[in-house]
Amino acid sequence: MSALLWLLAAVPLTAGTALLLTGRRLDRPAPALGVAAAAATLGLAVASAVLRPEASAPLFAGIRAGLRVDGLSAVMTVVVAAVTLAVLVFSAGEKDRLSQGGRFHGLMLLFAGAMLITVTATTLPLLLMAWEVMGAASWALIGFWWRQPQRTRAADTAFLTTRTADLGLYLAAGAALAGGVTALDLDALAGARGPWVHLLTAGVVAAAFGKSAQLPFSFWLSRAMQAPSPVSALLHAATMAAAGAYLLLRLHALLEATAWGGPLVAWTGAATALLLGVAAAAQRDLKQLLAASTCSQIGFMVLAAGTGGVAAGTAQLTAHAAVKAGLFLAAGAWLYALGTKQLPALRGAARAWQWVGAAFTACALALAGLPPLSLWAAKDEVLAAAFAQSAALYATGLAAAAVSAVYSVKALWYVLRETPGDAWQGYDTEESGTRRVTPLMRPPLLVLAAAAVALGVLALPGVFSALRDAVGTPDEPSPSAWQLPLSAAVALSAAWLAWRIQGRGPGPRLLRPAAVRRWAAGWLGLEQAARTLAVRPVLALARATAVFDDRVVDGAVHRAARAALTAAGLARRSDDGGVDALVRAVARTARRLGRAARRPQTGLLHQYYAQAAVGFAVLTLLLLSLR
Amino acid sequence: MTAALFAVLAVLAVTGAVLVFRCASMARATFALLASLVCVGGEVILLGLPYLGVVTVLMMVMEMVVMAVFMVAYMMNPAGLMPMSMVHNRRGALTISGVVFAGLAAGVLLAPWPGRVGTAPQDTTFQAGAALMGDQMLTMVTLGFALLATMVGATVLAVGRGRYDRFGDDLSRPRPDDPAGGGVGR
Amino acid sequence: MLELFLLLAAALFSVGLYGALSQQSIVMIMMGIELMIAGVITAAAALWHFLAPAAADGQVIVVAAVVAMAVEMAMGFAVTTAVFRSRDIDTADAAEDLKG
Repeated sequence: MSALLWLLAAVPLTAGTALLLTGRRLDRPAPALGVAAAAATLGLAVASAVLRPEASAPLFAGIRAGLRVDGLSAVMTVVVAAVTLAVLVFSAGEKDRLSQGGRFHGLMLLFAGAMLITVTATTLPLLLMAWEVMGAASWALIGFWWRQPQRTRAADTAFLTTRTADLGLYLAAGAALAGGVTALDLDALAGARGPWVHLLTAGVVAAAFGKSAQLPFSFWLSRAMQAPSPVSALLHAATMAAAGAYLLLRLHALLEATAWGGPLVAWTGAATALLLGVAAAAQRDLKQLLAASTCSQIGFMVLAAGTGGVAAGTAQLTAHAAVKAGLFLAAGAWLYALGTKQLPALRGAARAWQWVGAAFTACALALAGLPPLSLWAAKDEVLAAAFAQSAALYATGLAAAAVSAVYSVKALWYVLRETPGDAWQGYDTEESGTRRVTPLMRPPLLVLAAAAVALGVLALPGVFSALRDAVGTPDEPSPSAWQLPLSAAVALSAAWLAWRIQGRGPGPRLLRPAAVRRWAAGWLGLEQAARTLAVRPVLALARATAVFDDRVVDGAVHRAARAALTAAGLARRSDDGGVDALVRAVARTARRLGRAARRPQTGLLHQYYAQAAVGFAVLTLLLLSLR
Repeated sequence: MTAALFAVLAVLAVTGAVLVFRCASMARATFALLASLVCVGGEVILLGLPYLGVVTVLMMVMEMVVMAVFMVAYMMNPAGLMPMSMVHNRRGALTISGVVFAGLAAGVLLAPWPGRVGTAPQDTTFQAGAALMGDQMLTMVTLGFALLATMVGATVLAVGRGRYDRFGDDLSRPRPDDPAGGGVGR
Repeated sequence: MLELFLLLAAALFSVGLYGALSQQSIVMIMMGIELMIAGVITAAAALWHFLAPAAADGQVIVVAAVVAMAVEMAMGFAVTTAVFRSRDIDTADAAEDLKG
C-alpha cells in the first residue's frame, strides 16, 4: 500500500527529471511522454484517493518523512493530477510555441510531483522540501522564455517574494522544535508549548500568505503572468497559489491554538478577496485580470481556513482550480491565435472560436458566482463559515463575491462582442498569432468547463456533508436557507449591473475617480510598496556592508600590508643608515688606519732606526715608571 | 793618575767619535773611529780587564783596516778632496740622539747605584775564561753558533758566482762557465 | 767615578746613534753602530768594576759585545757587497724598495 504512495510521488518526479536531463534530444516525443506520465499520475492519484495509503521513511534524527492520503489530501491529489493532465494536453497542442518541449514538460512534471508531496506530507521537513522544489520549478517556468529579459526579471521577483515568505516556514520549524514538537508532525504542531506556538503560527501564516499571493504579497502573481499560459493555468491558478491555502486548511487546528491566528487569517483573506477583486475590475489585460481574480478567490479559501471551514475551503479550492484553469487555458488559446491578451483587442474572440468561447463563457459565469455553478456553491459554504464567526466577515465576503461578478462579466462582455472591423490593429502585440486553435487545445478546455459547471453539486447538502466527513470536520457550518438565495441575488444583480455599465460604451467605466482606478489598475501599488519597504533597504544595507568590507576589512588588510611595507622600508633605512653605515665606518676606519700604518714602512733604514730608538726610549721610560 | 788617564782617554774617545762623522775623507773617518775605539780599549784596561782591553784593541785594528779598504772601494774620495756630507734627517737624528743622551745622563746621575759587592780577583782573565767554560757555557755556545752562522751567511751573500754557478747544479760541467776567461783552469 | 764612566758610555752611544740615524752610506751607518757597541762595552766594564767584580758576568757581557761587533761588521760588508752587486748602489736610501 505504501508503495502506491511512493509511486504517486515518484512517477512525476522521475519522469520530469528524466525529461529535464535529456535536454533537447527528447524534444519531439516530450509532449507525448509528458501526457503519458500525467495520465499515469492521475490513475495513481485516483487509486490513492480510494485506498487511502500511508507511507513513512526516516529522514533526520528523530524526524521521519511521512506521506498520507486522508480526506483533504485525497481531494487535493486528484485535483492536482487532473489539472496537470489537462494542462499538459493543452501544452501538447501549443508545442510549436513552447519549443523546448523536454524542458517544459520536465519542469511541469517536476512541479506536479512536488505539489503531490506537499499535499500528502505529514511532517514539516518533507513539506518544506517539496515547497521549495515548487518554488524553484515556478521560477524556471515563469522565466521559460528566458531570452526575453522582462520574463526573467518577473521570475526573479516572483521567486524572491515567495522565498522570503518561505522563511516563515523555516522559522516555524525552529519554533516547533523549540516548542517541544520534536518529530515535526503536521498534526502535532498545534501542541507546541508556550510562546513558541505564536512564533510557529506567525511563520506558517507568513509562508502561506506569500505562496498564495495574499496581501501584502499579491504583486508577485501579477509579475508571474509573464509565464506561458499553461504555466499560469497550472501553477498560478490551480495548484501552487492554492498551496498556501492548503497549508492553512491543513493546519487549521494550529490557527485555533492561538487567539489571533484565526481572526488574522480570516480578515486578511477577506480583505484580499475584496481589494484584489477591485484591482481585477480595473485591469485591461486579460491575464492580469485573471491573476487578480486568483488572489481574490484564494482569499476566500484563506477566509475559510481562518474561520474553521475546512470543507468549505476544500470545495472552493477544487471549484476554483477547474474554473481558473479553464479560463487561463482559454486566454492561452486566444493568445496563441491572436497574439494579444488585451481585453479591448479580444473583442469577438469568443465568436471566432466557438468551442473556446463556450468554455470561457461557462468558466467566467462560474467565476461570477452565478447559481447553480460550482463557485457559487463553494463560496456560499465559505461565507457560511465566515458568518458563524462574525457578521462583518460575512459582509466583506459578500461584497467580494459581488466584485467577482463584476470583473467576470467585464471580461465576458469583451469577448462576446462582435468582432469590430479594425480588430486586426490590436492583434499580434505580444507574439505573432497563428489565427487558429489546434485540435489538442479543445478537450482540456471542455473538460475543465464541464467540471466548473458540474461541481455545482457541492451546493447539495448531502454532497457537502460527505465532503465534511471526508476532511474530518463534520461540525462545520453549512449555508443556511437564506444565505444561498441572498448570495445568488447579489451575484446576479452585480453581474447585470456590470453588463449594463459595460454596455454603455467601451472604456473603463466601472471605477469612478481616476485616481482610484489607477491605484486599482496598478495592483494597489503593492509592488512599489514592497520595493520601497523591503528591496531598497536591503540593497542599501548590502551596499553599506560592501563599503564596510572594502574600506574597513579590506582596508585593514591593505593598511596592514602598507604598514608592513613601511616597516620594511624603515628597517631597510635603519639597516642601511645605521647598521650598514656603522659597519662601513668601521671598515673605512680600518682602511685608514691601515693606510696610516703603511706610512712608516718607507724602506729607509734610518727612519726605521729612528722609530726603533724612539720606541725603545718610550718602552724604557714605561718600564721605569712602572717600577 | 787614573782619573787623569781616564779623562784624557775619555775626551779622546768622544772627539774621535765626533770626528768620524765630520771628516770628508773616508780613510780619515776610519782612522778616527779606530782612535776612538782604541781609547775605549784603554778605558777597559784601566778598569782592570787587561785581556779584554787588548782583545778590543786588536780586533778594532783589524776591523778598521778592512773597513778602510771597503770604504774606499765603495765611496771613493779617499783624500777628501771633494767635501762630502751625505746625511739625511740631520735635525731629527740630532734631536733623537740629544734626547737619548739627556735621558741616559739623567738615568745615570739619578739612579741609586748600589755599593760594590765583592772584590776583583787576581786574575780577571782566568775569571772570564772559567766563567765562559763553566757557568756561562751556554753563552759561549750561542756566540759560537752566531759566529759560524755569520761566516756562512757572509760567504753566501758576498759570493757573486760560486762553484754551482760555474759548473752547474751537480758540478758536472767540464769547463767553468765564466764571463771572462783566464784563471788557472779550476 | 762610576757615573763618569757611564756618562762616557752614554756620550759614545749618543754619537753613534746620531751617526746611525743620519748617515746615508751603509758603511757609515755601520761605523755608528760600532760606536754604540763601544759605548755598551764601556758601560758593561764599568759596571763590572764598580758593582760586581767578584762575578764574571760583566766580562761575559763585554765578550758578547765584542762578538756582536765582529758579526755586525762581517754581515754588514757581505750585505753591502750583495746589494752593490745587484743594484750598483751603496747608500741605504737607494735600497728602500723590494725587488717586486
